[in-house]
Amino acid sequence: MKRKLKIYLPFINAGIQEVATYRVNWIFYMLGNALACFVAYFIWAAVYRSGGGGTMSGFSMPQMVVYIVLMFLTGTIIASDGAYVVGEEIRDGAIAMRLIKPVSYNATFLFQELGNKLPTEIAIAVPMIAAVEIIRTVLGGAVQFNITCLLLYILSCVLAYLINFYFNICFGFIAFIIKYLWGANMMKNAVIGFLSGTVIPLSFLPGALEKVFLLLPFASLNYTPVMIYMGKYGGAELLYFLGLQAFWALFFFGLSKLLWRSSVKRLTVQGG
Amino acid sequence: MKKLKRMYRIHRIFMAQEFKRMMEYKGDFIVGIISFFLVQLSNLLFLWIIFSRVPDLMGWSVNEVIFIYGLSLIPKGIDHFYFDNLWNVGFFIVRKGDFDKYLTRPVNTLFHVLSEKIQIDALGELIMGIALVCVSIPAISADWDVFRVLAMIFMIPFITLIFTGVKTITASVAFWTKRSGNVIYMFYMFSDFAKYPASIYSRVVQNVITYIIPFALTSYYPALFILKGKDPLFNLGMPVLAAVVLMGLGVFVWHRGIRAYESAGS
Repeated sequence: MKRKLKIYLPFINAGIQEVATYRVNWIFYMLGNALACFVAYFIWAAVYRSGGGGTMSGFSMPQMVVYIVLMFLTGTIIASDGAYVVGEEIRDGAIAMRLIKPVSYNATFLFQELGNKLPTEIAIAVPMIAAVEIIRTVLGGAVQFNITCLLLYILSCVLAYLINFYFNICFGFIAFIIKYLWGANMMKNAVIGFLSGTVIPLSFLPGALEKVFLLLPFASLNYTPVMIYMGKYGGAELLYFLGLQAFWALFFFGLSKLLWRSSVKRLTVQGG
Repeated sequence: MKKLKRMYRIHRIFMAQEFKRMMEYKGDFIVGIISFFLVQLSNLLFLWIIFSRVPDLMGWSVNEVIFIYGLSLIPKGIDHFYFDNLWNVGFFIVRKGDFDKYLTRPVNTLFHVLSEKIQIDALGELIMGIALVCVSIPAISADWDVFRVLAMIFMIPFITLIFTGVKTITASVAFWTKRSGNVIYMFYMFSDFAKYPASIYSRVVQNVITYIIPFALTSYYPALFILKGKDPLFNLGMPVLAAVVLMGLGVFVWHRGIRAYESAGS
């Protein structure tokens, strides 16, 4: 364990330095993404006003505001670049450099990304959680902060990130089939955006469809952590969804290993 | 006149090159179009679910909302199709020093950058936009006349230039900062507000998207005239004015930027 840590810590460090270089760019990028939240807020406000207020599919308007903010936060926390990076390395042959090093390909990558993400995640999560609680207190009229929910949310986000990370690694192998990685990623993001409840809470879907979507790995990405934070899952349900997340994380971890092993044999790197 | 003819000829040569390149990678071409199509499809599913819950959106019927949504995609798609290369300026071309190439050629640099590439992915947005407009129009009971339809077609080049203008201005920032891709991204994301009727937003937001980063002028205001016959002077005049001002400003900032451009040393 200690030896492993010693091997992979430099990768975290490299990741941190990488993100520090492009700080200003990152801020503009996040601001751009935040605009989508504002649009979502206004469209939902209009829907609730037109629908005469009250509750829709288990969400009141204040809860919907919280949902939008948490979706944005969760999406940022669990984001993973893997598909693009792996695809790019397969395409340009840089993957060969990883092969000759005595460290696990996926693990180096995981730690590098963690270094990339951790500082920014903390910088954005703390104020946003505070904002969510202020919104809830003002709109709901009482303090609703629940430390258990927060801790379970963090646990759920860790699982969600692992699912997303390994899923993206698996998806990266699509570079063997599709050369246009940017397009392939766009396609993936569009589908996941819907299936993970980012576009609309899954409870708004027709009953049967909701049940199917909840079983798919994508609901385990954004939807489960957000619902947990909002206190919508309790008792056995909570354990079930956390278990499902763990299952999908393990599933994609295994699949990525399998794909890695079989594709190394297929890999041809040109020139050098 | 002679100059225009020459530009037209250069443009055609570039286009021909682009089509040759695309035919080389037919698979990519389909992946790209489908991906943008899917993005729009997921938004439409959202609208569909919402309208199964409420009869109208603050006075806007489902067909009117779809019309505005579709109309917002058309200029976005055209700009995306023809002028996508501005993103590359913001993300890569300046930073890597590749902009030198444009400076050595005997054509206007902005014209060269704009006409050099086309982005076929945009067809996903464009086809969806045209389809939505065509599907929603017959279902809307407005006083249709030839003039309104012509007004819509007449507006399209101008509202497209609003997109291109904003992108040109923000891409030019790269001449000073080396990299402005995410600046383009942030301002471009304001176009998300154009998807829905601007009357659902708060006053502050409405003023921002009408007068400052005027994406509401690309869909909502023209639609006010096309659907309801309201105030043609403002609803059609403002977008035209904004297009001219933004594109003019874009050309100005671009050429100022070139003076500040220093190639990447290596």
